[in-house]
Amino acid sequence: MALNSTPFLSYHEIQVDSIDIYDDAYGFYQEFNDVMKLLEQVRPVPGKRLTKRLIERVRQMN
Amino acid sequence: MTDYELIEKFVKGEQSCFETLIQRHKNKVFAYISLYIRDQALAEDLFQDTFLKVIQSVKSGKYYDNGKFISWVMRIAHNLIIDHFRRVKQLNTVSNDDYESDLFNSRKLADANIEDHLIKRQIQKDIRKLISELPDDQREVVILRHYSGLSFKEIADITDVSINTALGRMRYALINMRKMMEEKKISLTFN
Repeated sequence: MALNSTPFLSYHEIQVDSIDIYDDAYGFYQEFNDVMKLLEQVRPVPGKRLTKRLIERVRQMN
Repeated sequence: MTDYELIEKFVKGEQSCFETLIQRHKNKVFAYISLYIRDQALAEDLFQDTFLKVIQSVKSGKYYDNGKFISWVMRIAHNLIIDHFRRVKQLNTVSNDDYESDLFNSRKLADANIEDHLIKRQIQKDIRKLISELPDDQREVVILRHYSGLSFKEIADITDVSINTALGRMRYALINMRKMMEEKKISLTFN
């Protein structure tokens, strides 16, 4: 009989970098899933021209 | 390469390293400023000023690595926004003009028809309005957490409040937004 077992993870192998413990503890994403989904529809990003202008100014500074 | 490694190389003269930092963090910084400030032109100015201020501070040795470069950059952005509002208050020249144009880059709409596209734009506009109607302290926490990806600890540090206060503001913001969504009948009517 084949046995399937869950591989053991050591403490340091658990990835928690992208998890905010308070977010997790307060469960905002579970409780306000509808609001969060709506917020995700908006992703403001700087335009290419603005980024280019900034990089040009940075180069002028040096 | 880590942020700090890039900064070190930049200080030693490798200019392209700062450009890498800009590319890495520009969306988080821009999201914070442009959602906090309605005026698009002003948001763009403050976005640029933030990075220029970062350079000045880095070059004058004011940045010490603690692994939280982006958190430090956001504090600079936060201070620039506060400075701006202080100046405006002193000059008493507050503009009430809402910026009506769409600031948002939506996902590719190649397959969507024009009607879907218009609905999507309207929803994005509604969401921006919802965010802008939140009290300042609540709005800031939502933006820093949701759009800039900062932890509550970092948000608390930047806004000079306790973590509990930051969490409370987030909770009230979400409750208020849900209430406004219901009142204005805003929901995801597309997918």
